[in-house]
Amino acid sequence: MNYETIVIGAGLAGMMAALGRAERGERVMVLAKGHGSTHWAAGCLDLFAEADDPLGAINQLVQTRPAHPYALAGVAALEQALARVRGVAEAVGYPLVGNAGRNLLMPTALGALRPTAFVPATMVNGEARQLGDGRPTLIAGLHELRDFFPPLIAANLRAQGYAAEGVYLELPPVERAHDFSPVVVARLFERPAFRAALGRQLAALVRKGGYARIGLPAVLGLYNAVEVVRELQALSGALIFEIPTLPTSVPGMRLFHAFEQALTKAGARLQIGGWVLRGEGSNPHLHAVFSEAAAREQRHLARRWVLATGGVMGGGLRAEHTGVVNETALGLPVRTPSGRSDWFQARFLDEAGHPIFRAGIAVDAQLRPLDAADQIVYTNVAVVGSALADFDPIREGCLEGVALATGFAAGQL
Amino acid sequence: MRTIETDVLVIGGGATGTGCARDLAMRGIRTILVEKGDLTHGTTGRYHGLLHSGGRYVTKDPQSATECARENVVLRKIMPHCLEDTSGFFVTTPWDDPAYGDVFVKNCRLTGVPVQELSVQAMLRREPLLNPQISRVFEVMDGSADSFLATRSTALSAEEYGAQIWTYHHVVDLVREGDRVTGAVVEDLRNGERIGILCACVLNAAGAWAGKIAAMAGVTVTVLPGKGTMVAMNHRMVNTVVNRCKLPDDGDIIVPIHTVAVIGTTDVHVPDPDVYGIEPDEIQFMLAEGDKLIPGFSQYRALRAWAGVRPLYKDRDVANDRDIPRTFKLLDHAERDGVEGMLSIVGGKWTTYRLMAEESVDALAKRLGNTRPCRTAEEPLPLPPTEHQTTFRPPVRTTGPGASVAAEVEALQHAPLYWLGKHLSEVEHEQSFADLICECEMASRSRVLAAIDAGAKNLDDIRRDVRMGMGPCQGGWCIYRTTALLFERRGEDGLSHANSNDALLHFLQARWKGLVPVLWGDQLRQARLDELIYVGVLGADRLRPIAEQGGGLVTDNPAVATEYVKA
Ligand SMILES: Cc1cc2nc3c(=O)[nH]c(=O)nc-3n(C[C@H](O)[C@H](O)[C@H](O)COP(=O)(O)OP(=O)(O)OC[C@H]3O[C@@H](n4cnc5c(N)ncnc54)[C@H](O)[C@@H]3O)c2cc1C
Ligand SMILES: Cc1cc2nc3c(=O)[nH]c(=O)nc-3n(C[C@H](O)[C@H](O)[C@H](O)COP(=O)(O)OP(=O)(O)OC[C@H]3O[C@@H](n4cnc5c(N)ncnc54)[C@H](O)[C@@H]3O)c2cc1C
Repeated sequence: MNYETIVIGAGLAGMMAALGRAERGERVMVLAKGHGSTHWAAGCLDLFAEADDPLGAINQLVQTRPAHPYALAGVAALEQALARVRGVAEAVGYPLVGNAGRNLLMPTALGALRPTAFVPATMVNGEARQLGDGRPTLIAGLHELRDFFPPLIAANLRAQGYAAEGVYLELPPVERAHDFSPVVVARLFERPAFRAALGRQLAALVRKGGYARIGLPAVLGLYNAVEVVRELQALSGALIFEIPTLPTSVPGMRLFHAFEQALTKAGARLQIGGWVLRGEGSNPHLHAVFSEAAAREQRHLARRWVLATGGVMGGGLRAEHTGVVNETALGLPVRTPSGRSDWFQARFLDEAGHPIFRAGIAVDAQLRPLDAADQIVYTNVAVVGSALADFDPIREGCLEGVALATGFAAGQL
Repeated sequence: MRTIETDVLVIGGGATGTGCARDLAMRGIRTILVEKGDLTHGTTGRYHGLLHSGGRYVTKDPQSATECARENVVLRKIMPHCLEDTSGFFVTTPWDDPAYGDVFVKNCRLTGVPVQELSVQAMLRREPLLNPQISRVFEVMDGSADSFLATRSTALSAEEYGAQIWTYHHVVDLVREGDRVTGAVVEDLRNGERIGILCACVLNAAGAWAGKIAAMAGVTVTVLPGKGTMVAMNHRMVNTVVNRCKLPDDGDIIVPIHTVAVIGTTDVHVPDPDVYGIEPDEIQFMLAEGDKLIPGFSQYRALRAWAGVRPLYKDRDVANDRDIPRTFKLLDHAERDGVEGMLSIVGGKWTTYRLMAEESVDALAKRLGNTRPCRTAEEPLPLPPTEHQTTFRPPVRTTGPGASVAAEVEALQHAPLYWLGKHLSEVEHEQSFADLICECEMASRSRVLAAIDAGAKNLDDIRRDVRMGMGPCQGGWCIYRTTALLFERRGEDGLSHANSNDALLHFLQARWKGLVPVLWGDQLRQARLDELIYVGVLGADRLRPIAEQGGGLVTDNPAVATEYVKA
């Protein structure tokens, strides 16, 4: 099969790029060895953490840090990308709410408050400014779900001035004991009887404690969460909000699902499970890539390529013990801090982040990969998302923002 | 200052000190043990995990070899739940002197170390990943040993016999009146309280720190701290301990222990047992040596690195450091220095800790007029509450030099030897898959809670009891879960959310230290995922303003914070 564009990597960046190209009428395939960081992260859109006004901060950042991916993609691309992703989510009945000009502060499963710009509608009732209205909040979980501990969450919220209490609910009867991972519990929430039983317990608690809001783990159904929230609100008589749990991220899976729907509608193909091992090209053109699935090698041809394989976490970059960092799909040159001794800070949570995680691929204004001498390696390749150099998506709190902005830009080039 | 009186004060909560406390208490002698960190905070928690057959020492240090061979059998009988009967190979690789094999066998016979030569084919059948170019193989009675569990069990026994074990108590001074040591001043590191301890005798079992303790009494004991580094690999490529058949050297042993294989070690003189780094070239060297035993060794995923310091005792009459014997030595400071009321026990190995304790306590008992005999070689250790008595018994070894001892141990019936499938079989038996707090190491909720209830002072203490956080993800999931359980369990006793937050931040950092030297490949990827979890999902970095010490959990006293940070 001959494609116009093949996107390598199925994270937010890759799917955004694929959607853009497919909507321009190209034949597009997304080729990935697994899911992207949607499945690990909180399922919110982080644009820039350390500012009340992320968009304002990004406007400044593009002036002071011209190599930052935001500067390369441009603020306009970010804004259009945000509109587009909200449309994608809305289309599956899972609206994202928020404002690029003002970070929301969302409670975490530790009871810390984490800034982010957009959250699914299922979370928004937990925003700190609402929590702070003086009316009590209940945090409720299930003993069986090991990734959510209401007493500690509530205690930490109280320490920050929010009236909150934590309880465990009783697990409604289920046929047999399985593992109660977030995904398993999310499936249980799709059963009306399960929801009704929990709703009754919540209603009783609300009657006794007069709670205005209830925070629950973000496992309220896989693909009908908005309805589940609405139903639990009706049953309990309080506002409901979800709090992200440890991976696997159910809200992240919902975002992925929304993109899957949009891509299918736009006629793009998604092939997950193929590991891209190398490319074949004669400078400055990439002709083909080879992927491996089930020990079988496959050659893929396309005119244009988007590399969206992520950084170290996504598997797009891999460091060797010798101190070399490789780009794993195409073997592109990687910008790396000089030696292994410069890779890490002494403290794990050092605010500055660990220099190794700024390693990545340098690109020009059209996101084309550059070598050490700033020459374009392939003119028909665009690099997007966390594979890019010179930024730290986690510490800067811009994982989703950069993915979407660069992905969007690559979709329009 | 509060003052307490006892017969004997033991300093040091490693294998030796804990063993001494048990022996003392079993003979009815009133005992307090003080340890500045948790039990096994010193070398005992940073060693290689090898229950020595003695083979390593048959040529250079025959006395040590004989001691190890004897104690090896004793320990199998008293602490089977802490030992795995892996057996051990000494192998001649193309890099080793082929003539040494015969010397080795002859010296094993002379020192009483059971040994049996095996064909290379038989070796490869048992351990197919070993280098096929190995030319000779000798089987010995090596095993692997969980020193955390062993020390915990020994301390439990000591307490059952009436000893007091004070962890996180630091000896800041010894009290000397004239020619006599009469006690010590200790500080509770968690609240700064100082306590006086009056005693008839001080037993200095402070390992590599023994010289520092002796100096507090004005006595010179020269202990040369020799640092050794180990690397745990995420695969148990071998189920048998593998030693190079040559004189002891760096990076020449691979020990399978629990789910990992540990390669070690190095020997670098360091000026101070509290300050040392793990150097990148040590790691590279050991990975390269590993490739000689198991081709491709360096390509496996490295999990973590750590380093410990050997307590090498330098006698006054030894001129050259290289001639220092590896056996232990009991120093009676009355005879040696004219200072009454203090003994020091220095040197030795983990494998010989019980014997060291026996000799020390024999000398002390005599001095105190106590004539009760030592019974530590006969009476088995109790199981701590974190361990279940399992009903399933693994198959017993029927071949090789360890077969007859294995049959004897099995006949004792009190607890089977540890085997790799132990925790899995427990989880299967209890159907507790859905209740694993640390999936990597199969630590169930009930075992984590047992560790908390047994008095764990921070997450690192819980780790030492149930191995949570020691698997491939180094705590990605279980640090959060365990912190929350600690809070829920101790909240009513006054442990605040702020204390819990501090415990979480402390443990995240404690895990990071041992990761940095081996962060590349998949382990680097894992570390980044852990960063996403703790920063990007949980916002743990934002808890700092509501994190504080207290609740008996964590201390920032520099006395316990061993600083090794180098990549
Ligand atoms: C790298 C390496 C690998 C080894 N591998 C093996 C092996 O595989 N098999 C084997 O049998 N042996 C091995 N050994 C030897 C063995 O680990 C040690 O001999 C043994 O653990 C020493 O135990 P210990 O109790 O004497 O000392 P430690 O375990 O060091 O105990 C001394 C304790 O004293 C405490 N302390 C110090 N100062 C104070 C103070 N002022 N107040 C209160 N407490 C204090 C310390 O915190 C420490 O916990 C190895 C040693 C090293 C260094
Ligand atoms: C036989 C054996 C097998 C092992 N296998 C594995 C394995 O499979 N996987 C693995 O990950 N690791 C393994 N390890 C290594 C282990 O996880 C540790 O790295 C090792 O025990 C050294 O401890 P540490 O890293 O905590 O030391 P350090 O990081 O030096 O910690 C210092 C100690 O000081 C204490 N401390 C420091 N600061 C404070 C404070 N402020 N308040 C209170 N206490 C403080 C900590 O509790 C800690 O105990 C193994 C170790 C051994 C001995």
